[in-house]
Amino acid sequence: MPSQFIANGIVSGCIFALVALGFGLIYHSTKVFHIAHGVVYTASAYVFYSLLILLHLNLILSFIGTLVFSALFGLILERYIYYPLHKRGASMGVVFISSLGVYTVFVNFIAMLYGNETQILSSSAEKAFHFGSVVLTRIQLVEAAAFLLLSSLTLGFLRLTKWGRLIQALADNPQLVSVIGMDVRKIRLLIFSLGSVLAGFAACLVALDVGMDPRVGMNILLIAAVAVIIGGVKVFEGALVGAFLVGLLQNMVIWQVSAKWEHAVTFVLLIVFLLTRPEGILGERRRLEEA
Amino acid sequence: MNYILHLLVLLTIYLILSFSLNVLVGYTGLLSLAHAAFYGIGAYTSSLLMIKWKVSFPLALLAGVGMAVLLSLLVAAPSLRLKGDYFVLASLGFQVIVFNVLHNWATLTNGPLGIPGIPKPSIFGVKISSIPAFLAFSSILSACCIFILVGILKSPFGRTLKAIREDELATLALGKHITAFKIQAFVIACGIAAVAGSLYAWYVTFIDPTSFNLNESIFIIAVVLVGGSGNIKGPVVGTLFMILLPEILRFLRIPDTVAANARQMIYGALLIFLMRYRPQGIAGEYKFE
Repeated sequence: MPSQFIANGIVSGCIFALVALGFGLIYHSTKVFHIAHGVVYTASAYVFYSLLILLHLNLILSFIGTLVFSALFGLILERYIYYPLHKRGASMGVVFISSLGVYTVFVNFIAMLYGNETQILSSSAEKAFHFGSVVLTRIQLVEAAAFLLLSSLTLGFLRLTKWGRLIQALADNPQLVSVIGMDVRKIRLLIFSLGSVLAGFAACLVALDVGMDPRVGMNILLIAAVAVIIGGVKVFEGALVGAFLVGLLQNMVIWQVSAKWEHAVTFVLLIVFLLTRPEGILGERRRLEEA
Repeated sequence: MNYILHLLVLLTIYLILSFSLNVLVGYTGLLSLAHAAFYGIGAYTSSLLMIKWKVSFPLALLAGVGMAVLLSLLVAAPSLRLKGDYFVLASLGFQVIVFNVLHNWATLTNGPLGIPGIPKPSIFGVKISSIPAFLAFSSILSACCIFILVGILKSPFGRTLKAIREDELATLALGKHITAFKIQAFVIACGIAAVAGSLYAWYVTFIDPTSFNLNESIFIIAVVLVGGSGNIKGPVVGTLFMILLPEILRFLRIPDTVAANARQMIYGALLIFLMRYRPQGIAGEYKFE
């Protein structure tokens, strides 16, 4: 049943794309390799779980509460971790390690509070829809719809609005942005909250679908990072192309070989790209030594 | 008493790991996230050879090093041509792949169940099984590794690595083949990490993939960064601090259920703090900026 696996690949691609879009947005425009994006994702899933199951709020309210939390979390990380380093002119390695530190602290904090077990939000079987030979559950359809909505909103925002264009400008030339009198600090805060909301949205949907454990964030973050790089770091749409490629490839591997090799295959794909086309699918071809 | 000896054995193993990673992070300015992978490659290669083919321990040790050298060449030769960021990613990718192979290739590595019953090394027919004897053995091996590394770093080769770290372009202008130097440094560091792997396998007599995952790589990086990199005393201080820290935490009477998480949180917080306020670590020379 290859068409079923292609459909599953596209749906998981939708989720990867949401996280990758946020990660790519942050990486491209602020040059922060935001490993802690993974813990923004994990923490959002757990906040959603707490609001929905532990506090018995309704679905919409829990959703909105979680998105507010995600945005705030992103803002706080930028304000208290990344911006001071940026101001000092720290290298990518320093920012990377700080981010790794943030990830470690919060993931372990979550594991301490909620335990290492998998938490499941809904145990009832999801309503399934048949499209010819393909079966998709209701939540999978919601995931696809959310992807279409959010990615077009985000890309539209980046291309068409003033603040979106400022984000692009920051990606191209940060010095010039401050020269024309714009507040780089505010643009960065916007970037981080936007990217974090995208991750929080994906986290809620996946939590409803399959539940979560404290390690989910790292898995999806690594996939998102791979997607951004193979799609092309310098183009926002690259993250989407990369995410669907990874989603399809993983599901092909699940179909043909076994689910346990999906992560290894993702990273083989990354290394193949680093060796043969380091600028990514949509990236402009040029010698990497110049970059 | 045995407990203190146990800590000392751990110290000798982690000294090898931190010294070898220091060659990359501190001397060459390369951040490798794959150090635990090479540590694991050493452990698995020598253990499998000793169990399945009854190879003697010096040969198994060398085979482990050889395997790590071979694989590190495979990683380094293409990825070190790229700029810094991409090397970090390639090493991360390699780390994940190695963990998955150890975890999933069950017919060879026994998968998540790990390999039990790894024989202790024996010299002239005498098995090194008591902890004091093993401590002597591991100290000698560890001292040899450190001696080799320090020798290399004090040589013109080591000075060239430092020059690359400080200014690639200027070093290139002096006619040094930068990529070749980086590849050599990487291969040396990974080969030495494999020695630590064999030592760990012989000491614990059991290995499983979780000892060589990404968290372990992060831990080794933390050891080097906390101590400080780019000189000899940095890794020593870092290893002492990071190995003994959990023991100090024991006195705080944190309940066992949260102790592991609390420890990880402290490591993470240390990394954030160091990067922000003291990028050269406690005793390092190289300011990681």
